[in-house]
Amino acid sequence: MTDKHKKSKKEIIITGFGGQGIIMAGRILGRSAALGDRKESVFTQSYGPESRGGACNAQVVISEEPIRYPYVRHPDILICMSQTGYEKFIMQMTNETILLIDQDLVHLTLNKCDSFSIPATRMAEELGRKMMANIIMLGFCTTITKVVSIDAALDSVADSVPKGTEETNIRAFKKGFDYGLAILKGRDRKAVGKTGAV
Amino acid sequence: MLCNWGPHTAFQILQDKGAEIPPEVKMIRIPCTGRISKSLLFKAFEMGADGVALIGCEPGACRYGSGTAAARENTQDMREILGLLGLGKERLRLATFLPDDSELLLQFLKNFCRDIQSLGKSPLALGKATKPEAASKELLSDIISSHDVYACQDCGKCSSTCPLALSGKDFSPRALASSIIAGDLDSSYVNEDVWACLTCGLCYDRCPSGINFPEFIRDARRFFKKAGVDGREAHGGFFQSLMRAMSSPKIKTERWTWLPDNIKLDHESKVLFFGGCAPFFDVFFRHHLSVQTSDIIVDSLRLLNFFDIKPALLKDERCCGHDLLWSGDQENFLRLAKFNVDLIHSLGIKEVVTSCPECYRTLKHDYTNYGLELKFKVTHIYDFLEKEIDKGAVSFKKIDKKLTFQDPCRLSRLEQKADLPRMLIKRLKGDRFQEMPDSKAAAICCGNSAWTGCDSFSKALQVKRLRQAHGTGSDLLVTACPKCQIHLKCAMEDPFLGDELSMEMMDLTSLIAKTICWE
Repeated sequence: MTDKHKKSKKEIIITGFGGQGIIMAGRILGRSAALGDRKESVFTQSYGPESRGGACNAQVVISEEPIRYPYVRHPDILICMSQTGYEKFIMQMTNETILLIDQDLVHLTLNKCDSFSIPATRMAEELGRKMMANIIMLGFCTTITKVVSIDAALDSVADSVPKGTEETNIRAFKKGFDYGLAILKGRDRKAVGKTGAV
Repeated sequence: MLCNWGPHTAFQILQDKGAEIPPEVKMIRIPCTGRISKSLLFKAFEMGADGVALIGCEPGACRYGSGTAAARENTQDMREILGLLGLGKERLRLATFLPDDSELLLQFLKNFCRDIQSLGKSPLALGKATKPEAASKELLSDIISSHDVYACQDCGKCSSTCPLALSGKDFSPRALASSIIAGDLDSSYVNEDVWACLTCGLCYDRCPSGINFPEFIRDARRFFKKAGVDGREAHGGFFQSLMRAMSSPKIKTERWTWLPDNIKLDHESKVLFFGGCAPFFDVFFRHHLSVQTSDIIVDSLRLLNFFDIKPALLKDERCCGHDLLWSGDQENFLRLAKFNVDLIHSLGIKEVVTSCPECYRTLKHDYTNYGLELKFKVTHIYDFLEKEIDKGAVSFKKIDKKLTFQDPCRLSRLEQKADLPRMLIKRLKGDRFQEMPDSKAAAICCGNSAWTGCDSFSKALQVKRLRQAHGTGSDLLVTACPKCQIHLKCAMEDPFLGDELSMEMMDLTSLIAKTICWE
């Protein structure tokens, strides 16, 4: 990542269906930046017809400096957990956007920017609760984009989820985190042309 | 060792002439060098020889035709094993002489003695064979009561499931147990059958009283060994000798010299890979079965590297002691265990990974059961792989084979981890995976475990197992233990059945290593 990106603020959009925990994920992300990493962060959630179901989105801005405008115009990070969410924001992506998708729910139609996919919902089902796909996605986002630190993210996951489910949610977070590590490792290996073991 | 025919004449000429034969030469007259098996060659070292020269007739002059050729193979293999063991290839030599070559023979003996003197004393410290002592009856009654064999209800479920009994052998675990309880210790039946048991653990799996029959047999063997009963060791007791040899304090094995260069190791690492005895097996069976069990070690290391683990190796790793423990030699097992544990502790190792089910079982449970305290955790490579692969982002190349799986008794039954290899197999992209009729904890043994009691019945059960494997319609038999490979390969070479049993075999670790890739 260039210096420009390191200094400047990060604008993030998380999008999906109502009920997937999109808003929750946005709030956790903002909290980890503000409370854990001691940065500035602003979180806005879509409020309109979408909050009655259908596509919804959460917008988070994280910065070292005070944030003067709370909305996101061109996301640095776009997390999509539904096809309609993806299509809605397709025009706002730049070629520097990092796109994270649930690979079972989103079919990419445009290769505009670097994208990373994870079967978050499937993994959550394997863990026993489909509800946790958002937390898995957060873990994945933490490794891939490093927009918040892992400790900050873990603390705010534990503080935000319903009492009694902290342990399973932390497990889900780590699952996504490890998957991200594995994806990055795989990319490195591919870059040097060594994908197999033998 | 001197062949009776050609070279012995040459030796006699030297004696008649009063030639100065080096005094350290101890001549043993043998009928033919071809009959000196690898185990006999090694026995000489075990009995304290510093060097062994096998002296026979020139290739064309062998009275029996093939003697010299056989001797050549045996010495070649043994030299390699001596190398791995750290004893030095140079301590064993094969030479051939015609009856007239007495001067050449004298020269050879002088040179050989000089070379051996420069190498120094053999580091093997097991000169004396253990004397049979009056094995105390208390030991046996302790063994019986510690395993609560008295709880046997004589129901016979063990006999009806024992793969040896099912292949026609007159063998019954419960009858053996009750004979031992009754003190019928000298009968040929007990003395023979206590070594015939495969210790596969199927009977324990079925026993309603939960008597751990394999462990009872293991401990009972200790008693019979002490009483001087012949252990019916397979391959002339070679493997027991080899493992005993590794318990000599001074020996420094050199078992890693053959590793490919592209394996990444880190001597500072806190993760250790424990290899096991596969390199020795490969050399020993090279001319007979041509098994490649050390591939399992290489592929395990590659997989660790694949997941960015650069493990340490024990430079002079000794045998884990499994086979000695299970063939009644607890004393030497404990010596090996102590050496290994001390060495591992001295390196500050936190985790030991192994791919051999027997090493796993022994390191993880038997070391602690016998009072050693471990400051490291023991992981089977499958546990490691399952954890890493489950993190995601890896996939597998297609395998154009139909797979079936041979369970290793130590992992599937004794450690109750039958599902673990299956989880991995299901991730592979084979054409399909088909279980054999007897699988998981009910699987039939590969026919041997501690190199004892191999006979026609264990062979018959291997044949039965291979027919089951063929019956699944599969064309690749996946194994998980080097010994399964060795024993099933041996059964496939049955000359009467020809190609009927032959089937491609590959270890699961190798299969994973060959097909795994980053997405």
